[in-house]
Amino acid sequence: MSKKSVKKVIIIPCSGIGKPIGTVSRETTYEIIERLKPDNVETICLALLTSGDEKTIDKLKDSYCITIDGCAKHCAKKNTEECGKIPDKSYTVLKFAAASPDKKPEGIIDIGEGGRALVETIANEIIKDINGPIEG
Amino acid sequence: MTVDENKIKKVGIVSCSGEDLPEGTISRIATLEVLLKRKPLDTTTICLPLFVAGGEGDRMFAKNYPTITVDGCEKLCAKKATEKYSGKVTCSINVKDFIKDTKICNKRNLNIQEKEIVSKVADEISNKVDDILKEGLF
Repeated sequence: MSKKSVKKVIIIPCSGIGKPIGTVSRETTYEIIERLKPDNVETICLALLTSGDEKTIDKLKDSYCITIDGCAKHCAKKNTEECGKIPDKSYTVLKFAAASPDKKPEGIIDIGEGGRALVETIANEIIKDINGPIEG
Repeated sequence: MTVDENKIKKVGIVSCSGEDLPEGTISRIATLEVLLKRKPLDTTTICLPLFVAGGEGDRMFAKNYPTITVDGCEKLCAKKATEKYSGKVTCSINVKDFIKDTKICNKRNLNIQEKEIVSKVADEISNKVDDILKEGLF
């Protein structure tokens, strides 16, 4: 992304309520927002987007959009596309988990130490990718 | 009533994703509390966005199960999206109704007050599950 075209970064995790990797997706989003400037990076409710909220769809149009899906069903990516926005970057937790089998999330409510290590790995990777847009 | 009609069914619980609000996290954790700890044999769930991303089978969810939606705010996204893509819900719960003077602010790592609200919302979901199963609302 060009340094001249600084855009708000919006990260959309999948809701992922049935799987630990869904929680990893959500936790990774919060981790990135906490580590970067909240003025530049935010999230939106995927359910709000799915329900067709016009303000949310408009907000998304001019953003640098990142989706983080837990599994291969890619709900966050597909719902975003359904609203007319092609994500600038899309990530899937499963791919990171496969590459780091020692970092395994334990539960859905509490992902445990392994899950938190996976969150850190994914967050580091995504932060590298979005440093351009937010640093301008 | 036939044997098939009389069989015990599960109650579906659909939580808003609510990533952008502390109330969304409360909705999600209260839903998981019921699904995983309180009523694991009586309940099931679906990721709400799967109504769009999934297939016809996923969109049959609210037709297959009497469904409780749990929303974090007055926008009622879980209720609206479930009814838009899947079918009419049996019962709708709004986390905001359980927050009176408590100031909530955490989207992750909930504090004691926020956990108490989770517990109250989980109580309400559990009671509704019992009502639905008792009254045979399916």
